[in-house]
Amino acid sequence: MLPQLLFLLLPSLAAQQAPQAPGPNARPVGAAEPAPMLQVARDAVDHTMADLEDQDEPPYHLAIGVTQSHSLSLSASNGAIMSRNEDWNRYADLDLRVGEFALDNTHKLLDAGWFSEEGRSVVRLPVGDGADDMDAAELTLWRELDDSYQQAVRRMTKVRANQAVKVERDDPSDDFSPAPKVVDIRPVQDVALSEAWEDSLREVSSVFLEYPDVLKSGVEVTAEAETFLLANSEGTQIQHTRVRYRASVYAVSVADDGAQLAVYDYLDASTEEGLPDAETLTELAHVAAQRVTDLKKAPLLEPYTGPAILRGRAAGVFFHEIFGHRIEGHRQKDEDEGQTFTDMVGEQVLPDFISVVDDPTIRSMAGLDLNGTYPYDDEGVVAQKVSLVDHGELQGFLMSRAPIEGIDSSNGHGRRQPGNAIVARQGNLIVQAHESVPYEELREMLIKQVVAQDKPFGLIVDDITGGFTLTGRVTPNSFNVRPVSVWRVYADGRPDELVRGGDFIGTPLTTFSRILAAGDDPEVFNGVCGAESGWVPVSAVSPSLLLEEIEVQRKEKENDRPPLLPAPPAPEGKSKSVADATQEPA
Amino acid sequence: MIFLLMNAALATPPPGLMPALESELERATTELKLQDEAPPYWVSYDVVDGEFATFFAEMGAVLSSDVVPYRIMRVETRAGDASYDSGNFDAFGESNGVLSVRLPLDNDETAFRRSIWLATDASYKQAVEQLSRKRAELPPSDPAVSELPAMLPAEPVVDLSGGPLPLDPEGVKSTVVYLSKVLSEYPELEQGQAAGRDWQGQRITVSSEGTRLVTDTGYTVIRVEAVLKHSDGSRLRNGRWWVARTAAELPPMEEMEAEVREMAEWLVALEDAPVLKEYLGPVLFEEIASVELYRQLAAGEFVGTPPEAQGRGMFGEAPISRPTARVGRRLMPAGWTVVDDPNAQEAGRYSRDQEGVPGERVVLIEDGVVRRSLNSRIPSKGAEKSTGHGRSMGAERREALPSNVQVSAKRARAERALRRKGLRMAAQTQNEGLLVIRRIEPPAMSEDMDITFMGEGPGAGLTRPYEAYLLMPDGSEQPVRGLQFSGVDRRALRDVVLAGETAAPVGVMDGPPGPERFYIGAVGGLPGSWAVPAVLVSELELDGGGGGDQRVLARPE
Repeated sequence: MLPQLLFLLLPSLAAQQAPQAPGPNARPVGAAEPAPMLQVARDAVDHTMADLEDQDEPPYHLAIGVTQSHSLSLSASNGAIMSRNEDWNRYADLDLRVGEFALDNTHKLLDAGWFSEEGRSVVRLPVGDGADDMDAAELTLWRELDDSYQQAVRRMTKVRANQAVKVERDDPSDDFSPAPKVVDIRPVQDVALSEAWEDSLREVSSVFLEYPDVLKSGVEVTAEAETFLLANSEGTQIQHTRVRYRASVYAVSVADDGAQLAVYDYLDASTEEGLPDAETLTELAHVAAQRVTDLKKAPLLEPYTGPAILRGRAAGVFFHEIFGHRIEGHRQKDEDEGQTFTDMVGEQVLPDFISVVDDPTIRSMAGLDLNGTYPYDDEGVVAQKVSLVDHGELQGFLMSRAPIEGIDSSNGHGRRQPGNAIVARQGNLIVQAHESVPYEELREMLIKQVVAQDKPFGLIVDDITGGFTLTGRVTPNSFNVRPVSVWRVYADGRPDELVRGGDFIGTPLTTFSRILAAGDDPEVFNGVCGAESGWVPVSAVSPSLLLEEIEVQRKEKENDRPPLLPAPPAPEGKSKSVADATQEPA
Repeated sequence: MIFLLMNAALATPPPGLMPALESELERATTELKLQDEAPPYWVSYDVVDGEFATFFAEMGAVLSSDVVPYRIMRVETRAGDASYDSGNFDAFGESNGVLSVRLPLDNDETAFRRSIWLATDASYKQAVEQLSRKRAELPPSDPAVSELPAMLPAEPVVDLSGGPLPLDPEGVKSTVVYLSKVLSEYPELEQGQAAGRDWQGQRITVSSEGTRLVTDTGYTVIRVEAVLKHSDGSRLRNGRWWVARTAAELPPMEEMEAEVREMAEWLVALEDAPVLKEYLGPVLFEEIASVELYRQLAAGEFVGTPPEAQGRGMFGEAPISRPTARVGRRLMPAGWTVVDDPNAQEAGRYSRDQEGVPGERVVLIEDGVVRRSLNSRIPSKGAEKSTGHGRSMGAERREALPSNVQVSAKRARAERALRRKGLRMAAQTQNEGLLVIRRIEPPAMSEDMDITFMGEGPGAGLTRPYEAYLLMPDGSEQPVRGLQFSGVDRRALRDVVLAGETAAPVGVMDGPPGPERFYIGAVGGLPGSWAVPAVLVSELELDGGGGGDQRVLARPE
């Protein structure tokens, strides 16, 4: 049995896509009419339910979710375009259930080996909307639905045998819950990137040539329109598009001890116009380049325990990892899980000045579009704001349509990447502080903690690359948050000192009990989260947090020496000369 | 949308690239050096610059449509010297001094140099480590390497006159869509897919030996495959494919369509075909099936590239390596000849291989006996120079691979003679008819994981027949289904009793003999061609089976 390992990373959109290019038939955009593919899916649901009705083991629920995407990306490095990609995809997910709500074919088999589960694969559909496309899609869905049905019947047999052989579960809740019928057809949207980006990216990417310590670097702009279509046997029909744009920069250097130092920064938007202009991107590039340059010279952070401030984004990731994953509903009934919070509803789990909600309905906060926003989840349930913690007291869990004891319906958090089974996932996790202080005051409080604890310094984490957490019973229920830049803060007035090479680790309950105060500076972390149901876009919003104590462990590092030869000279005016390579950038 | 496609408008070579390669080569050979280690003694840059156009369609509908620019550099750095170096040693997955990196699409010398600089640095460090691993496991005094040079010699060449051949993405796309649409006219089929790729580009080689070369590179491939679910639940497949140097050299559409229809009709007719549960007796391979018989069983016998040298085993024991081409060995009956000619105007043609060596016509088998082997610059016993067959996919090592192969028999017979003789032999072995194999699935399309994993190993066999029938004594043909070969290996080629007349070349996509052939995918691999006559093999064993889940859900009207 493997531990439940949950990752949160910050890849660019393009990092999740195979490089591909031009596309199929243009699709109608803008009209709030059902896409032809939605009609095909609806017909396939109706046909399947009717045709299999008389089988010994008829399906009781069927949903066909279709995800169609159009994505564009453009990247540049060292003043030159590196890649131009355009990609069209359309995938179907089939959720066919036999049995009944109480017990169906998706029921977890206890003590089952890895090979006891039949594979689940995403169904590739034609990308166009013409008659041939729909005919081919209809044929493909028929074939795959038949396969799904036969697979479901086979698994149901195993489920019943497993039920008979194994002991009863602690949580006797049903396997699935009904949901209200929803019909909501919204206009299909598309994305585009203007030609002007080519010159902008060339210009911005040449900024890095000014920094001799930056070995690899790049600038990228991505756009994605992802249209979700859903038809199910309850009559639900949903069509909506999610549009995302991102502009990002990265810079990589290698420290003398071989550690790879990478800084990635980005700005998200829901329209092309919302993306940063060249000037802003240039500034972002300079900051990233300067940060890796500084990190290269920064001393290593040794293992340490002491007070720390997690600034906005870092605090968001911290909460996403150590709290957010543990309040996902399915973990409360899975007996392989650690179930940290399962029996703590109504109990104090956080300081009473902290509340936490997950709200996929909010579009933006702190001036930024949120990544975890959606109108309906992947099971066709309307997205809902969920109060998870109120003034420190645990209120509930994020729910898909898989009930748990005491909560028998979804709150609109069933999510997946195409090709995966749906589970409850986070959307926009928002940490709210009812008592907060300006950041400078929080910093003073940190210094007081350093003095009170007689520590040599405190720590401020101001940027992170991501993190992960283990939630299973086999392994320690721990987390790891991976900072990019950490500052030592001294009580004697010395300037803050940038350090590198440490990860923050801990266990959830202990760490929560160490939260002392919060800032008044909520920041948005936009990223994608990987877990059982694949990668889904998420946001985490949090103010800076002061922790009484946090533990640092050495970060895993690479061992390759920096390049033996200096970088080739850049053209006049583009970069400092090789001879200047050791000097500080302006 | 901002993306414009650059159809064959590639400059040759791209401005700024040659100066960038030259500058970094100069630095690599004069300045690049780790303390206490020798500098690289050999460096080669190989830039492949072009466009991939890849399409998949099902029943007339596009599943994916990709046209992407491609500019990748393979850098290989060798540490050591000409007698013993870091090359050709199995590092068990460790980096070995050969790597591929993406180069900028813009023709920007500064950006080119940055990429080349970092790649060369990494390649050199890998080569130094690889050399130390090799020294530890296989010292220069080891007989396995002491009698061989590090690399077979090759004359440097300077020729920048090459360039890419025309790309026809729209033509290939429309072909793929049209041929898959043809399959939609057969309602008995439950799946009908076509895939195609047009890849055209230029290969730019700059090496420390002085080679400065631009050559064309690429291929066009179309594959069509259909699936029929038999009423007993069997999943029956059939396929067709065409490989050419460019899209313009593909057969006319009518010809391809006719073949696709023939393929579909064969599948549909299998609804009434019996499962042949076992067969032991003579087997007649028609020409297309013969191509697979010979390329799957024979190619490994005349490829001279040895496997990468192995290190010591867990207990310090010397490894046992499988011999490659054994000159002097009888592989086929007397009178048989096998020739490989990269200059033949077929799908596998090229003027120079990926190491810049001119492609040489090689008579591999004379009178059934292996006389010579195909070689790249990877040394092997008995080989004095490369025959110009060094090719690989991506950053793999340059192994010798067949290009355009012609197999012929001195005493060729008409097809009816093969059938008559085969029927007599079938009767003698108590078979009701002669088993005739018309087509065999190419390894790239095989779904048989057991064969895939066995590759060329002891349990290797032939992939499954796509089309087979029993030729009855009255001349009728009874299609049969569900067959797979059992225990077939290269020794079967000696049991050929009769051969047909000279055959036309058939384009194939291939990889190195072995498991890699199975992994190249529907449109990947390296192009080649095989011309093999129909052959009658005295005895082969095949097992058969059928059945499976039958469809429960009614197909929508």
